[in-house]
Amino acid sequence: MDDTTLQVYSLLFVFATVVLVYTARFFQARRGRRRRQRQIAGFERIPQWTTQSIESNRPLHLAYGGAAVGGDNTPVTLAGAEFFHQVIEGANASDASPLVTMSAPETIPLGQDTLRRAWHKGDTLSRARWLPPGLAYAGAVTASMADDEPTAHIMAGQFGPELALLLDSASRHGQPSLAVSDRLDGGAVAYAMADYVLIGEELYAAAGYLAEDSPARADAAVLDVWRALILLGVTALLLLEFSKQLAVLSGPLVAVVAAILVLLGLVSYRRR
Amino acid sequence: MGLGSRAGLSAFVAFMVGVVTILSLLLGDNPALFGDQPGSDELARRLALPGDVLLRLVVIVVAVSIVIGIANLLFVHIGRLARRKFISAVLLASFGFTIYWYVTRQGDTSLLEAVQVPIESSLAALLFLSLALGGARVMRKRADIWGMLFVAVALVVLLGSLPLAELAPVKAWSDWLMSAPVSAGARALLLGIALGAVVAGVRALLGQDRAYRAYRG
Repeated sequence: MDDTTLQVYSLLFVFATVVLVYTARFFQARRGRRRRQRQIAGFERIPQWTTQSIESNRPLHLAYGGAAVGGDNTPVTLAGAEFFHQVIEGANASDASPLVTMSAPETIPLGQDTLRRAWHKGDTLSRARWLPPGLAYAGAVTASMADDEPTAHIMAGQFGPELALLLDSASRHGQPSLAVSDRLDGGAVAYAMADYVLIGEELYAAAGYLAEDSPARADAAVLDVWRALILLGVTALLLLEFSKQLAVLSGPLVAVVAAILVLLGLVSYRRR
Repeated sequence: MGLGSRAGLSAFVAFMVGVVTILSLLLGDNPALFGDQPGSDELARRLALPGDVLLRLVVIVVAVSIVIGIANLLFVHIGRLARRKFISAVLLASFGFTIYWYVTRQGDTSLLEAVQVPIESSLAALLFLSLALGGARVMRKRADIWGMLFVAVALVVLLGSLPLAELAPVKAWSDWLMSAPVSAGARALLLGIALGAVVAGVRALLGQDRAYRAYRG
């Protein structure tokens, strides 16, 4: 595929997403009732952590890791900020201001802005902390776990293998953790070591799970629609490829198998 | 100017900058999009200009932000020192001494190499231990079929990486795992992340992101 075609497809994809976002928001606003979403254990645990933070007057630790505004991972940084905003609003009755850490200096203004918007009791400047990147970040956060004694750690951003040090330390301090990284190695560490993990695009749907506003839920629905379309496309292409390679398979048979697969997918999705 | 109109203005600016950048990146420097008409090269070059300027601005802002980071670190630790957390004095003294050393020794970084590098190396060694412990804890945290599968795959890949002739069949399994299921899983994850990134990008592009909404204060 040449560059020009790729650019045209990119524009069409972005345009289709814009249309889907507005369509989903329109229907979400009209319907008025909460869309049924699949259950994600990490999101269900967060209200309990915020309650613990309020009752014990201990802060929540929210970590961006290396996620930065202005680079390739800007979307994950913005999604993390939205997620943290919802968490902080939930913990607003606590006297202990949440602790926001990041290792990318360009994320400091975003971290402070997130705190200022959601936390209405001041002391926001000193609670958004920049720490040097990489292992130094892991070392510094590990030290603060004993010092600040956070109720729980929510790590949403860009993390590599150094996440293992953070999660191991949190586990030894008896502090629960939820982790998600846009890096594959960080995601693997999170899956193995965090108490709760978000995978892939679940971070981007966080606001739809935690907030009551319908636009956030509509955006989560758009993600589901895109995912379903891609699954359908991949399955159809796979079956077409099989039908070319195996003489036993005929067009109608492929169509029937595809219909059964789609039906099974829908049933299992509704059951979850 | 009220909160609502300020939020509207910032959303409008965000929208315009986003649209200009995306169009400039997609249409600029690509004369083929405009066919063989005369002047298509010049038009493509001009369309690329706004995107280039805005991206250069981002680079400058990012470069300046490292100063903000250092200022933030110092501010936080001065505050902690004021609250009698004397461990912060170590950081402030180290910061001052390193600057002094660098300036008086004409850019000598031996202090950094003598302290920072060994500390990071020992943390890397600790990281290995943490990862090994984490692998062992998987079965406790996820005592289900997926946890078992995770550990089994990790073991096969680890054994397959050993340089022993006796483990050649395991290496074949390990290679297949890495090239087929692991690769497919990784692509699926990246696809999900990319989808999420597009939706988050569209939110920012449309000025719907929280940063552009009214600030309640």
